[in-house]
Amino acid sequence: MTGLTKMTRVEVVISNRDAPPVRELIVSAGATGYTAVSGVSGLGHHGAHSGALLFNEYDTLTMLITVLPPENAPALIDAIRVLLDGQSGVMFVGETYVSRPEYFQ
Amino acid sequence: MSLKTRADIARAARGIVPQWPLNSFIAVNPLGGYESTDFESVQVPGAVTTRPLTAYRADIDSGRITPEDLLAAVHERIPEFRSRPVRVGSATISAAELLVAELTDPTPTTVSPTTPSEQHDLVDDITSKWVAAFLDPDPLWRIPRRRDGFYAAWRHLATHDPDLPWAARRAARRLPARPEDAVASAMTGLEVPARDEDSILRRELAGLPGWAAHIKWRSEHVGDVDLVDYLAVRLSLRMLLAHSSGSAALSTYEEAATDGRRDLWPRAVRVAERLGVGTDSQTVAIIGRVLAFHPHRDHPYTLQRAYEVHYARTLVLPLGNSEPADLLPHLQLVACIDPRSEGIRRHLERLDPRIETFGFAGFFGVPVRFSTYNSPSSIDSLPALLSAHHHITEVPQDAGDAASYTKRLRTRQAFAAGIHTGESTTVSPFAFAEATGWLFGAATALRTFAPTTAAKWIAALTSRPSLESSVTVVEAFSLQERVRLAEASLRMMGLCRFAPLVVLAGHGSTSANNLYKSALDCGACGGNRGDVNARAAATILNDPDVRALLSEKELNIPVDTFFLAAEHDTVTDRISTFDTHLIPETHRKLVDDFDRLQGAASDALIRERAQSLPGASPWHATKKTRRRADDWAEVYPEWGLVGNAAFIIGPRELTRALDLERRVFLHSYRPELDPKGAALETILTAPVVVAQWINHQYYFSALNPETLGAGTKTTHNAIGTLGVLSGQRGDLRRGLPWQSLGVGDRLVHEPMRLAVIVQAPLNHIIEIIGRNTVLQNLFNNNWISLTAREDASSPWYLYGRYGWSSSHLNTTPTSEGTPS
Repeated sequence: MTGLTKMTRVEVVISNRDAPPVRELIVSAGATGYTAVSGVSGLGHHGAHSGALLFNEYDTLTMLITVLPPENAPALIDAIRVLLDGQSGVMFVGETYVSRPEYFQ
Repeated sequence: MSLKTRADIARAARGIVPQWPLNSFIAVNPLGGYESTDFESVQVPGAVTTRPLTAYRADIDSGRITPEDLLAAVHERIPEFRSRPVRVGSATISAAELLVAELTDPTPTTVSPTTPSEQHDLVDDITSKWVAAFLDPDPLWRIPRRRDGFYAAWRHLATHDPDLPWAARRAARRLPARPEDAVASAMTGLEVPARDEDSILRRELAGLPGWAAHIKWRSEHVGDVDLVDYLAVRLSLRMLLAHSSGSAALSTYEEAATDGRRDLWPRAVRVAERLGVGTDSQTVAIIGRVLAFHPHRDHPYTLQRAYEVHYARTLVLPLGNSEPADLLPHLQLVACIDPRSEGIRRHLERLDPRIETFGFAGFFGVPVRFSTYNSPSSIDSLPALLSAHHHITEVPQDAGDAASYTKRLRTRQAFAAGIHTGESTTVSPFAFAEATGWLFGAATALRTFAPTTAAKWIAALTSRPSLESSVTVVEAFSLQERVRLAEASLRMMGLCRFAPLVVLAGHGSTSANNLYKSALDCGACGGNRGDVNARAAATILNDPDVRALLSEKELNIPVDTFFLAAEHDTVTDRISTFDTHLIPETHRKLVDDFDRLQGAASDALIRERAQSLPGASPWHATKKTRRRADDWAEVYPEWGLVGNAAFIIGPRELTRALDLERRVFLHSYRPELDPKGAALETILTAPVVVAQWINHQYYFSALNPETLGAGTKTTHNAIGTLGVLSGQRGDLRRGLPWQSLGVGDRLVHEPMRLAVIVQAPLNHIIEIIGRNTVLQNLFNNNWISLTAREDASSPWYLYGRYGWSSSHLNTTPTSEGTPS
């Protein structure tokens, strides 16, 4: 990983109707951006999930991905855990490496 | 800490359903945040989810709920009781009948669900004042420091608020600058234990639920305020007021303890007496053991279900099972699934049997943002389930007309802006009234005594000039996108053979002086009129390039078929046509024939509707009933979707011969055009979801007219286009006004959860539900019901959490009141 900078990647898969507070937390945590992939499909704790629906974006699953410096991540991770408490949705946290760290700080 | 505070607030606000502003009224289920839990487990302060028991008992007395309806409801609730005989005294009866005997008891021991009494809260008063001042889109004075956010603006002015005691104003100077810190500081200042913070946040959000719901919408769509700001103001106020009165600790929210347990013994004795089986201890004990399966708290839900079963049975039993007519229709009309369209479709078909009609969501599968020609503003004409990705506008047919149009439009806009300025600046209203009072006085008299004439004059002076134009669909959608939308629409509605003229009729509602006008427009078009989407869809379907690619998908639209955009006005019942300059000469006569036919159908329908409109009569001239569209004193321009109760998905042969009394959403569908069930999945996950929002808005507004409904129109006070208050201050009203639900003290709407009825392969339906959480929530948790049959010759099945079961809708009621 020569020349790359270590960062923390946080991914949240959640119903699109529940996504606005997650996006708001990501921005409030100081992340400089996020990627949203709408209409994701798969199999999970609540069974199978359709992908994109033709006329309903509101009830499909969306995946929000953000990358931020490791020192900023714990507060965001704790906040998302609070938010997901008692509702469907999953969070994945992992290390990642970026070539242009200034984009994420 | 601040992030956790934000997360705590977001979690506490999970049950709040965003409330759209009035000018794009979106019907929502006000309790939609609880759809992931069972309908019967929902408990919301200030709201009930069933009618009072006295209402159900009146229905039992009148025959609106029969013993067989009750039996069906009990069987649904406790399937084991379907065939379980119980020996009581010398008689043997089923366990279900024992429960029915208790439910039909005219002197019950059960109590009705009650709404908790409200306590006056000064924090509500002060918060509502400030939030209205902050969000008013058209204030006389803009609140200082608005750009810094709601909490910062309030904090700046709180030290001058005369509603606050002097000590509180003084203490306000020391409030934290950031809203998250203010929330944390108030929790500390009010000595709230960490374990109670969530319940305190929920209680504060429930204080003014209308404002909280609108702020939630606004934080996602506008971004100038959010619930952190809002709660920072509320909790800071509560702390300031508590400290100024010498108290500190804030009691936690404690729900009133509800004792759902009643002594089973007296209940069992009462049932034994009613059945005449003796009241010896053994008999009473046996009955008591059965009644224990049906505690008091379940009674209103069983009665509600029986009330719904009765309607569903009368609806489903006559549904047809004929094959489609072989004769090719000479005219087809596609109308919105809205129950009001059922009336105009029925009358058109009665007048001309060679007409074929279809039901499809009123945006015709073309979700757009639309701006009229040269207009800086736009509307999102699409279901609230979608975001606008395509922006269309108009292209004038003639450049000279366009220049003239622009000039006239600017003159009118300048005139309107001048009047607005004259009315709204600080001093000018006095001079303005002196100078123009005579003119407006005369106009007022004209609007009152001759509303139709006045409407024509006002339209001539203020309405947008007409302009021959086309909508820019080709520019906004690629060819592949247009083909995809066209194919999806045709397959969803089962339109596979085409008449020479196909009319796509959206709908809208014309009324004057009506803050809830948008609520009467098309729900599938985001609370807008449906003309734009009809024009866009017709343009796509008339496009030769689209047709060429559709033919490769075995959807062959003949070259001599023309799609015509139209709109059904649900107050006047007239159907207007659009883009008539595009009609080929070969189709002029067909359009003229349609125009004559719709005129007759319109007259027949408005006479039918006049039977139930307050103050109208079928013996009145149709002109008089239509005058409601222009009458600024009319609070009942139409009944909207009152009575809506079911959603039928299937071919028109199911319903063509029936009068469904404008109570049923009708979506056309033919499984043979949809071998994989993709179109059915789209219908179930979009039109059905929107319809249940509408249905539950009517349902809960009817049950809770003062808390989940908007109360009476007569005291409404508009806050710009945001919403209304009842009076000068207070909560933003939610839901529908009483004049959309009832007359006087009489509730006209029958509150029933939507009965979805589908004719389609059962395995497709199960698979679709299995991969869509939204449908699992709605059907498994009893927010709506689902009944289906494979085809016209198959029996009906009722969907439940554990799959299909034989439906009570297959049984024909007998005069003795027992299922045959």
